[in-house]
Amino acid sequence: MSIRINDLTVTFRNNVTAIDHASLEIPEGIFGLLGENGAGKTTLMRVLTTTLSPTSGTVTMDGIQYHEKNYEKIQRQIGYLPQEIDLYPGLTVQECLEYMGALADVPKSLCRERIEYYLEKTGLTEHRKKKMKQLSGGMKRRVGLIQALLNDPKFLIIDEPTTGLDPEERIRIRNLLVDFAEKRTVLFSTHVVEDLAATCNQLAVMKKGHFLYSGSVQNLLDNAAGAVWECMVTDPLKARELEQKYRISSKQQAEGGIRLRILSRVKPGIDCRPVPVTLEDAYIYLHA
Amino acid sequence: MIKEVKISLPFYKTASALLFIVILSLIRGVSVSCEIGAAMEPAIAILATAFCADTYVQEIAGRRSEVWRLYPMKDKLFAISTRLLLQQGFLLLLAAAGYSLFFLFQRPRLFSLMQPEAGSEIRQFVIFLGAMAVTIAFWSVLSNTIACIFRSLWFGIGGSLLLWLLAASSFARRLLDTWSVFSYADRNIADTGDFGWLAGKGLCIALCAVMLLLLPILLKKRG
Repeated sequence: MSIRINDLTVTFRNNVTAIDHASLEIPEGIFGLLGENGAGKTTLMRVLTTTLSPTSGTVTMDGIQYHEKNYEKIQRQIGYLPQEIDLYPGLTVQECLEYMGALADVPKSLCRERIEYYLEKTGLTEHRKKKMKQLSGGMKRRVGLIQALLNDPKFLIIDEPTTGLDPEERIRIRNLLVDFAEKRTVLFSTHVVEDLAATCNQLAVMKKGHFLYSGSVQNLLDNAAGAVWECMVTDPLKARELEQKYRISSKQQAEGGIRLRILSRVKPGIDCRPVPVTLEDAYIYLHA
Repeated sequence: MIKEVKISLPFYKTASALLFIVILSLIRGVSVSCEIGAAMEPAIAILATAFCADTYVQEIAGRRSEVWRLYPMKDKLFAISTRLLLQQGFLLLLAAAGYSLFFLFQRPRLFSLMQPEAGSEIRQFVIFLGAMAVTIAFWSVLSNTIACIFRSLWFGIGGSLLLWLLAASSFARRLLDTWSVFSYADRNIADTGDFGWLAGKGLCIALCAVMLLLLPILLKKRG
């Protein structure tokens, strides 16, 4: 399954343009969507879930155009986990998932099988009888993800799935998504760069309604190759001076001073050494 | 079904509705049993309005509406109708309980004893239940519809209350006469053979049907 976005524009009634003539192709597998707050990621996802109609431009899913007459066909292929979702607090985990599965028209027995499978995969089996209101934020997020998977969607859209999760939970969710993405398309929006580095090989970076970058993770890393430098300074004033002069992707208190990662095409005028690029460096370098 | 009960009839709602009915039966004075229905109808309408306004918009408040958009329309309509029916059923039971509480707290004189040709108290009660079923259905569907239009629980309640005030005004009641949505409360209670008030209830049913037909359009457009 592939999604094509062509010259998409979304302008709200207050004349704010959230997406401005953006084009993108989302292939099969996990596709990362990265961008600062207000970049237009959520708006894009709302268009892709048919919640929002674009002002202009086209979107197609495997050749089917996003148009009101095709929405029902498209909606059946989508699973969605919004950024914030408050699942039925008075229901148990099992009841909540069964209820949402029934709403998604998943046959009862199949729904139960899938619930069983995903509860196991997300480590929630022992919590299935707990009420939703008794769960931690991370657990609720996992239940939210399961509800998005119940109809076995061909196109899964997930907005910040790892928010509020501890490191172990995040890894579990990421692995689940990687397993799920086989022969499917997963659009994974986040601002946790680390999550994308661990799961995606294709990604797009959004800024103010445009795609700053779209392509492989490797290419993005290559763009910043040779532009990442690490240095150690002892004087905090010197560190501040460097921060004003260069883009800094990381600042860390270390033994013997402050360790800085400087992004610069030319070698900074300080004692430093080139270091391998991380996705975070590449992302910040792209914005520089 | 049990899930729908848990979703649409949470404890805080059922307890506050019960409290409302108990207080109503305590403070609203009636001297003859045939006055109970008239005393209860407008109050039950307000209760139905507040009780059912969140039938769908709780999905918006819980930020689940974007997920709901992906569900087939028939399943969404089934879920909303089930919720409405459960809430209406509960309110009807409460209305029945309230009717009995009036006897308990207000100790009215029995109309069937004062005017034996008016029929038994049971007959009056059954007629009351029928009228209340329509009143509850109308005001619950109305508040749900307004809430869906504005995507807000408070608009649902506020808008319906505004219409309630309008419908309950003496001007509207005089103007609409037996076609008023409160025609049961306005009936001539001394004349139990007069069923002219059924016109108002018929109008409620017709308006209810129109609003229910609008629901799929509202869900599609306003989701």
